Amino acid sequence: MADLRRSRPAARRLGRRRPLTAPVAAGALVRALTDRFPELAESLWTDDDTVEVVIPGGRNVEVLQAVRDDPALRFWWLADAAAVDYGPDPDDPRFEVVYHLYSDQHPAWLRIRARVDRSDPRIPTITELWEGAMFHEREMYDMMGIVFEGNRDLRRIFMSPDYRSFPQRKDFVLPDDAADTAAAGVVPLERPETWDLSRFRVDLTHSTAATYAPTEERTGTEQEIEGGETLADKSRPR
Amino acid sequence: MTAADPETRVPDPIDLDRAEEERLAAAFGAAPGTQPVPGSEYAGFDTVSIPDRPPQTEREAEMYSLEEGEMLLNMGPQHPSTHGVMRLVLKIRGEVVEDLDPVLGYLHRGIEKLCENATYTTVLTYVDPMDYLSTMHNEHAPAMAFEKLYGIAAPRRAEYIRALVVELNRVFSHGLMMGFLALDMGGITPLLYAFINRDETVDLLAAISGQRMLFNFFRVGGVNWDVNDEFINRLSRWRSNVGKSIGDAEALITQNEIFIQRTKGLGVLTPERAIGLGVSGPNLRASGVPFDVRRAHPYSIYDDLEFEVITQTGGDVYSRYLQRVAEIKQSLSLIDQIVEKMPHGPVQAQVPGIIRPRPGRAFATVESPRGFYSVYAISDGGPTPYRFRMRDPSYITLQAMPVLMPGHLIADTMAIMASLDPIMGGVDK
Amino acid sequence: MDVGEILLGVGRFVLATTLLLLLTVPTAFIVIQMEMKIIAQMQLRFGPNRIGPWGIFQSTIHGFKVLAKEDTTPDQADRPTFTMAPWMVFMAAAMSMLVIPWAPGLVAVESSISVVYFFAVLGLSVVGLLVAGWASYNKYSLLGGLRSAAQMVSYEIPLTLSVVGLVVLTGSLSFTEMIEWQRVNGWGIVWQFWAFPIFFIAAIAEINRTPFDMVEADSEIVAGFATEYSGMRFGFFFFAEYVALFIMSAIVVTLFFGGWLIPFVELPDGILGTVLGLLAFFIKTYFFVFVAVWMRTTLPRVRVDQLMGMAWKWLLPLALVNLFVTAAIVLIFNLQPVGGA
Repeated sequence: MADLRRSRPAARRLGRRRPLTAPVAAGALVRALTDRFPELAESLWTDDDTVEVVIPGGRNVEVLQAVRDDPALRFWWLADAAAVDYGPDPDDPRFEVVYHLYSDQHPAWLRIRARVDRSDPRIPTITELWEGAMFHEREMYDMMGIVFEGNRDLRRIFMSPDYRSFPQRKDFVLPDDAADTAAAGVVPLERPETWDLSRFRVDLTHSTAATYAPTEERTGTEQEIEGGETLADKSRPR
Repeated sequence: MTAADPETRVPDPIDLDRAEEERLAAAFGAAPGTQPVPGSEYAGFDTVSIPDRPPQTEREAEMYSLEEGEMLLNMGPQHPSTHGVMRLVLKIRGEVVEDLDPVLGYLHRGIEKLCENATYTTVLTYVDPMDYLSTMHNEHAPAMAFEKLYGIAAPRRAEYIRALVVELNRVFSHGLMMGFLALDMGGITPLLYAFINRDETVDLLAAISGQRMLFNFFRVGGVNWDVNDEFINRLSRWRSNVGKSIGDAEALITQNEIFIQRTKGLGVLTPERAIGLGVSGPNLRASGVPFDVRRAHPYSIYDDLEFEVITQTGGDVYSRYLQRVAEIKQSLSLIDQIVEKMPHGPVQAQVPGIIRPRPGRAFATVESPRGFYSVYAISDGGPTPYRFRMRDPSYITLQAMPVLMPGHLIADTMAIMASLDPIMGGVDK
Repeated sequence: MDVGEILLGVGRFVLATTLLLLLTVPTAFIVIQMEMKIIAQMQLRFGPNRIGPWGIFQSTIHGFKVLAKEDTTPDQADRPTFTMAPWMVFMAAAMSMLVIPWAPGLVAVESSISVVYFFAVLGLSVVGLLVAGWASYNKYSLLGGLRSAAQMVSYEIPLTLSVVGLVVLTGSLSFTEMIEWQRVNGWGIVWQFWAFPIFFIAAIAEINRTPFDMVEADSEIVAGFATEYSGMRFGFFFFAEYVALFIMSAIVVTLFFGGWLIPFVELPDGILGTVLGLLAFFIKTYFFVFVAVWMRTTLPRVRVDQLMGMAWKWLLPLALVNLFVTAAIVLIFNLQPVGGA
């Protein structure tokens, strides 16, 4: 799989900053956020539709609780919790856990990007705030390997429980021995060292099936059987 | 070499399997999952235990440790009533369910990862089989997200056609939910009537998109085909027939005393719990929370259409059923308004075959029959998305199962599950 | 009693039982065919229409197919009881057919206590279901078996109590005498219109038909007690169920709708009377089979605890009330039964 992947320097170029002269739609939200968290003002980004802030991973519970409970913000609905892998970049290896929130009072979505270190991906869990984050976090753990500290049920959800790799990472290469059980799609019989070919001796001496001489070039028309060779010689596996 | 000759007689397959298993076990050790874990106290039977390894988390230990009189029952991936392939491990005491653990992943196809290697238009075909009963919604959200990334808007007529097919999809999806709810309770007929409705609707959508189920109709910048004569003819016929087929199914269920007795007061979901769990869509509105994405964060042309957000009080299985019936009627009125107001114009914006949006992030949401369906897409300037994330509503709604089930009987498991209406394609992606 | 008479008696017995067993199989076939076609028509589809004209041979072919299937037994199942369970259920159904009055003079066993015999033997089928559930070594089967035990035990009582009213009225425990009483005094439904719904509901529950089929609820516990059965053993269970459906309809007709009697017409003696009576009996019985199939198409399933609740809290008290009222009427109006006290 490695040769299908292109080099991805794009991680550095993501996100176009716009100046903070936001249109009226998101204005109130931007103001409320900068009032509550002045230190986030420099990472704040917006278009008409979404307001985005970047926070360090350790602060996620604090920030989310504040945006949920603050009377000016009231973001009561956790729309989505997703993980993004920015690749095994040697300078800046990171994951991001991205939360999207909705509020009745503000017409824009709030996107909170929490940065997680890729070499030791740990971030506190938000299942205390929203019970429904459990499946989101299980999926992020299963697919990316991000460990949510404090989560009561952090086990794999899509892959089989003994799977040993994280599929959605950018450096994931499909391994044959990612799991032992058949549940992962890897059946012991697919390991060549377990094959017993002597069971499958097939005697084609009396077969009436036609066989074709192997040639380099295929013209697409019927080929004649070369004289002298028997059918059995052609059909035995080499 | 005759059949009666003992050495050359064809051996019984089951003997071959057993011999193979023994040979492999002798050569490579026993396969994991077939031997009992020494020292474990899992449910009664010798070699088959649920699960086959010690618990890894706190919740797993709580779920899989049994007290006196409890039993683990696997409502397994092959079962007549789970809505697709899903495994529910029930901890039952007699007929009463004490606890429940959904085991997912049987239909996991890695769609998010696949889409990272697919061009933006191809992604729209990959997402079709996710929530396969609401295909149009599956395509609508990514199309909106990619349009935001690319910085274009679809033409007005395209938006109206999108809304039209999306509401048609909602009608038959809710109709099928009614049928499956009745089927899971033993009433075999409403499903057949709901399928008559679905058949007609699917013929209608096939007239416009060319496909009966996985429509591949949306494009970045509009829709693929315009409304044609066949579609218009079928639409007027469909519109006069739909009341009858849905009405037939409804007549057998809504006033049926047995159905009411079995569903009233069952699986009550309070509004606060529903919001905390992330339940959305008709399930949330049946608990009384008026959250409908079409009114909360309007998209497409829903600002021009007149409709109210319907809610029910009660939050039980019966309310969720009534909510969907009401939403079918609401969708029919929306379809009438859309057909009336549809403008003329192009149906697809001029975009190149492979679009390369500027680097950026976009988040788009639609109201699917299951609930809040959203797509978060990140572009890196290349022809394929850098990250393509779908938040499927059935996946999150399934978390309500372990909350709603304890204390009810096994028969109620199916009723509650059918009322939450999960579709495994979306759950497992 | 010389040897010739004994041999003749044995020969008659063998012939009668063979005929009886042979009779159950076509009955089951006809009922299954009815069910498939009627449910299909009510669901706006065709049903089987390939095998034979209008598909009438479909269920016969189903019977042969079931014979041809592999009979699997779970590895850890209790083999003797696992094998015996279908026979028990089938025998209960077949034996209860012995006392059904088909036509004037045409009863397999003429007995003066046929009512008692009938309900006693029919109740034995629950043993077979319990055994099947236990011996299958499968949690689903166990649940199905336990549900069936609870259900059938609960519904035996309203079933028999609702008949006792009729017994008090007619003064006899024999089906043929009851029909005779109905010929003179009018059909049982007129006298016992209150007992008829109780009996009908209890009968549907006894034979595990929808809406009371949670024993084999195929959307919850796969196939209940029959989950691990395949081939002819599975066929036995379902033949037994459909035969029991026929038998219960026959008894409903016998008790409440005059058995072989044709309303307002006196049956002539001899062969013609027998044939006409038989025809009337079959028409009435198959009408009730049709009603049961209709109920299956339309109604969802009742839950286990609601089922028990209905039996103990509603049907049983109503049956008792019916009994008391009937007894009071008999005493007050000093009604005389047909055959004397």
